[in-house]
Amino acid sequence: MAMSKTKHCEAVRVVVRCRPFSRREQTSECENILEIDDKLGQITIRKPKAPPDEPMKVFTFDSVYGWNSKQSDIYDDAVRPLVESVLQGFNGTIFAYGQTGTGKTHTMQGVSNDPERRGVIPNSFQHIFTQISRTQNQKYLVRSSYMEIYQEEIRDLLCKDNNKKLELKENPEFGVYVKDLSSVVTKNATEIEHVMNIGNQSRSVGFTNMNERSSRSHAIFVVTVECSEVGLDGEDHIRVGKLNMVDLAGSERQSKTGAKGKRLKEAAKINLSLSALGNVISALVDGKSTHVPYRDSKLTRLLQDSLGGNAKTVMIATVGPSHKNFEESLATLRYASRAKNIKNKPRINEDPKDALLREFQEEIARLKAQLEERGMLAKERRRRRNSKRLSRSLAGMEEEIIREREADVWKTVEEEPDVRHYMKEGGDFQKALTCQGTSEKLKHLNENRKSVEDMQWDQDALEKIIEKYKAMESKLLVGGKTIIDHTNEQQKMLELKRQEIAEQIRREREIQQQMMLQDEETVEMRETFSSLQQEVELKTKKLKRLYTKLQLLKGEMRDIIDEHVTTRQELEQTQNELTRELKYKYLLIENFIPPEEKNKIMNRLHFDSEEDQWSQAAKWLLTVLQHVYF
Amino acid sequence: MASVNSDEWRAICDKFNNAQNLTEVESRNDPENDPFRSKYKARELLREIYCSLKSFEAGEGEEESGGESGEQRPTEQPVDGQREDGQGISGDSPAGMRAAKLGAVEYYLGVNHVDTEELSAGQEHLMNCMKLLERCRVSSENVSLFIHVRNQLGILWAGRDETEMAQGFLETAESIYQRYMKEDGSPPTDMTEYFTSEENLLTHQERTKRFELAYTHTMYYLAQVYKNLGETERAATYCHSTLQRQLQLNQFSPMEWALNAATLSQYYITKGRYMEGRHCLSAATVISGLAGEVPSEAAAQESETESERREHLRQKRAEIARCWIKYCLNLLQDSKKLLEDNIGELDTDRQDELKRARRREEEEEEKGRKSALLFGSEDTFDSIASLEEKVLCLFPLDFTEARSVFLVGQNYVTQAKEYFQMDGYVTDHIEILQDHSSLFRALAFFEEDLERRCKMHKRRVDMLEPICNDLNSQYYLLIRRQLMFELAETYSEMMDLKLTLANRQADTQSLDNHTIKKFNSLCSASAKYFQMFLDSLCSPEGKFPDVLEEEVLRPALVARFRVARLHSRLISSVPPVQLENLNRSLENYKYVVQYCEAHPEAAAAAETELELSKEMVGLLPLKINRLKARMAANN
Repeated sequence: MAMSKTKHCEAVRVVVRCRPFSRREQTSECENILEIDDKLGQITIRKPKAPPDEPMKVFTFDSVYGWNSKQSDIYDDAVRPLVESVLQGFNGTIFAYGQTGTGKTHTMQGVSNDPERRGVIPNSFQHIFTQISRTQNQKYLVRSSYMEIYQEEIRDLLCKDNNKKLELKENPEFGVYVKDLSSVVTKNATEIEHVMNIGNQSRSVGFTNMNERSSRSHAIFVVTVECSEVGLDGEDHIRVGKLNMVDLAGSERQSKTGAKGKRLKEAAKINLSLSALGNVISALVDGKSTHVPYRDSKLTRLLQDSLGGNAKTVMIATVGPSHKNFEESLATLRYASRAKNIKNKPRINEDPKDALLREFQEEIARLKAQLEERGMLAKERRRRRNSKRLSRSLAGMEEEIIREREADVWKTVEEEPDVRHYMKEGGDFQKALTCQGTSEKLKHLNENRKSVEDMQWDQDALEKIIEKYKAMESKLLVGGKTIIDHTNEQQKMLELKRQEIAEQIRREREIQQQMMLQDEETVEMRETFSSLQQEVELKTKKLKRLYTKLQLLKGEMRDIIDEHVTTRQELEQTQNELTRELKYKYLLIENFIPPEEKNKIMNRLHFDSEEDQWSQAAKWLLTVLQHVYF
Repeated sequence: MASVNSDEWRAICDKFNNAQNLTEVESRNDPENDPFRSKYKARELLREIYCSLKSFEAGEGEEESGGESGEQRPTEQPVDGQREDGQGISGDSPAGMRAAKLGAVEYYLGVNHVDTEELSAGQEHLMNCMKLLERCRVSSENVSLFIHVRNQLGILWAGRDETEMAQGFLETAESIYQRYMKEDGSPPTDMTEYFTSEENLLTHQERTKRFELAYTHTMYYLAQVYKNLGETERAATYCHSTLQRQLQLNQFSPMEWALNAATLSQYYITKGRYMEGRHCLSAATVISGLAGEVPSEAAAQESETESERREHLRQKRAEIARCWIKYCLNLLQDSKKLLEDNIGELDTDRQDELKRARRREEEEEEKGRKSALLFGSEDTFDSIASLEEKVLCLFPLDFTEARSVFLVGQNYVTQAKEYFQMDGYVTDHIEILQDHSSLFRALAFFEEDLERRCKMHKRRVDMLEPICNDLNSQYYLLIRRQLMFELAETYSEMMDLKLTLANRQADTQSLDNHTIKKFNSLCSASAKYFQMFLDSLCSPEGKFPDVLEEEVLRPALVARFRVARLHSRLISSVPPVQLENLNRSLENYKYVVQYCEAHPEAAAAAETELELSKEMVGLLPLKINRLKARMAANN
């Protein structure tokens, strides 16, 4: 096994994929703002219209894929190891995250009938079943469910009445689960794809406003792989791996749907609607010794294992290269970058109590035993049968009926015939029960009649059991049948090698990233040194420049002061002259003009601001008129 | 200005109504690929209105001497500086009305731009509105616009992470509102009324409602601004005011409001402000009652809506009950902390002192604080108050008081468990049980009778032990660890109590067989759960980790230490068993010492335990040797 069990903690693997320009973007001359270095796993984003000296933002991820990347590149590099570990009994989750229209669906689903363009989901189906067919001495049971979370409501995409809201519940035995979620047992890739198509259809048919819905809802496709193998202790051991494939709502809608996980909360914006008052209040409460009645989102609860729990997680973030998407792309990259810090603790799920495989196997074994028993009976010793055995098998039937009813939840395909089945069995059972009651006492007397009844009942039951046995066993997948092919063997080797190569590349990238980091450190150290010197030089230069400027300004100031002084002196002189003249005039007036005349003139005087001189005109006229009339 | 009845004016009003309709109604149906179609249309209409208003002005020649919006006036103060001098055009003058109308159009244009994600254009329009208003005095004609535009600017700047800017605008809005209400207070004109014909003016009631709602939003935004600035106390006060206003103005949905109030109580609890906490919770319970009766099970089975309603109401009420549980629990625990002496027993001197202090403060403080922030409309006020009376908000200082708080808490435990049942709500159910257990634990502190105290601990064991063993260890690892630890401690407490009791009864005599048996069984039960906890840390292969993780470091060291201690306390008269126990004990003490030597940073996590362990590692070998010697001698 490639995966070591000792590796307790591992971070979420984050990869970024960038889609090429769309035709529309090409014609409308969009700027490319992303630069991708797939060797280093770095992506650089440039702010459109930013000054050239503004530093670009660089993000480092486990890997990045440019627009020339193929679907198979992503699968081999990011997803294959994850699916591999799911087959080993780990939980695995693949998130697709990004703005609508950046190729999330293309990456996850792609074009399913074109092997080149097949997305992650169909590829993993193929992978799972191919892998199963190549194993030996192991039995598998693969089942899948498909659900959608829209505005905090869970809907089953695989059952007929998919408008029904499902509840998220918890059980002391098997943790968080979706109550009444249907799950379909699938035997090969075609079947599981079919299941997915049915789900996709009901996702789009259910609502008229499908576009909005699909970009605002999360879709979760769950594949459960149960595998039983005889362990070293000779006991049968069951491992259960669960693969969650999550198509998250378009990231641009995140804030509106409120679907963001708690861990990845965005800061600071003001919430406009009073309906979010609760969020504001609960953010103030320190959660330690209190109760905050707002639950985590359903998505978070459902996938809590994938973010910091018992799972291996890959996040595929998708971005677009156009400058028009700058903000969204930056947000996506930031979010993805934060996701890198989440640490998971994956463990193999061994012998869980809710394994369906165990139930199935027991059921098959029991049916088989019954069948054998009956086969023997049919041939001989018909008469030596006693009621004890009958009752035992009856008890068995009862058990079977209960089991059947339980299993019924999982079976959506063959629902109706099964129901009829029970009814019939139920009838038989009652009939036989009365028979059992009397038989103890009247054993010998009734022996003949009973054996006839038995015979009939036997035959009926036999057929049914055979039927059921076949149906049950066909659900279990046993590997090793196709290995005879030499080519297959080689293919397996090839894949192994390919995987090794992918592993190598990955390791190389990691090493290179580390190298980069160290380089940066040394460069930084050197830089600070040299830049210190530079800084000194620069500052001295600046100082000199500023000093000369200062001198210049000081000179100017002095000049201005001088100028002012002279003007003031000049003005003083004029003032003196004017005062002297004024005094002289006053003297003249006082000595040579009588006071009455003086008053008269003063009253008549008027300063005409336009002419800038004293005029007597208006007042003069008035006084003349006064003289004439009075 | 065109007369109110002219055709041109009518046309403007129609356009305005159209624009409003486009913004509020039509825009919801815009297609995904053209999400702002209606908003763009509305914007065009608003621009037309703006031009028409401007042209009226020019036509009538009432040119203002001050600068119009076309004129670029540099604004020196970026943060909102509301003119306090009372100068300017009065709001009801023609010039004032014109400014208000133009300002309103600018405001709507601003909001429109912000909605369509053109933030800087939006900001410009909003600032134009501010400039127009700057020249006016606040009056009932324009105060609504004064508040609204600042709300919008607050949102805008907060969205840019410029929280201080936002704070400036919102705080001015707050002071404008307060000043207006003090000086005028008449129901102000709503902005939509600028563009309606006379006959369609709003009623006073409607005016008040809209105006007050705008101010409620100011409070709400301020709460968020303070939250983002890290001023939680102010944020809480503003959340409180928001809730209070919702209730007063009857603008709330009962369950949502109740849940918010209950959550707010949790904030007050953590700050030790039990009076406010109790008030919030009482209000929550009363208001949640307004949401109506829970539909019966029979009704739920018949219709889906009823079933959903039933589920909803039951869940929310159970949530509120859980907030009450926390209230009672924290109150008891805080009080215990106050009264505890250094060995965790009731300090009677402290008790007396606190009782005396309480009598002094009781009356004045309760009154003083109460007048500050009270919820309740006229009809709910009394029921809230009567609910408050049912439980203390002061620290219980003796058993009777503690018991009354405990009983209230226990009552809510029953209520909460009714909805949060084990099957379906594992985590919630267990949390409630843990709280119940903690309630018992806190109450036991006040109980003087050791026998009864012991029984309380037994109740804790009885409720926790079965679930601890039933839970799936894979999915509920953390919860199980908590339970194991708590069980171990409870058993250990019971053991101590039994020993004290026995020692009291039989002063000098040695313990009788029955007591020894009881003591040993409690002792090993405690050790068993500590060991179980330690085993849960092991890897799948059963190996104890070499390095303990941060979050389990202290618990693990303490558990080791306690296991050591418990083993050394087991009573046995058989020397080989004694030896065995002592060896186990030594081994665990050694582990603590060695681990801290290997990882010096761990020492701080368990200082006292480490110190004692070191001592024991020195002493125990002597004891063991003595025992060995005695055994050898006996043989």
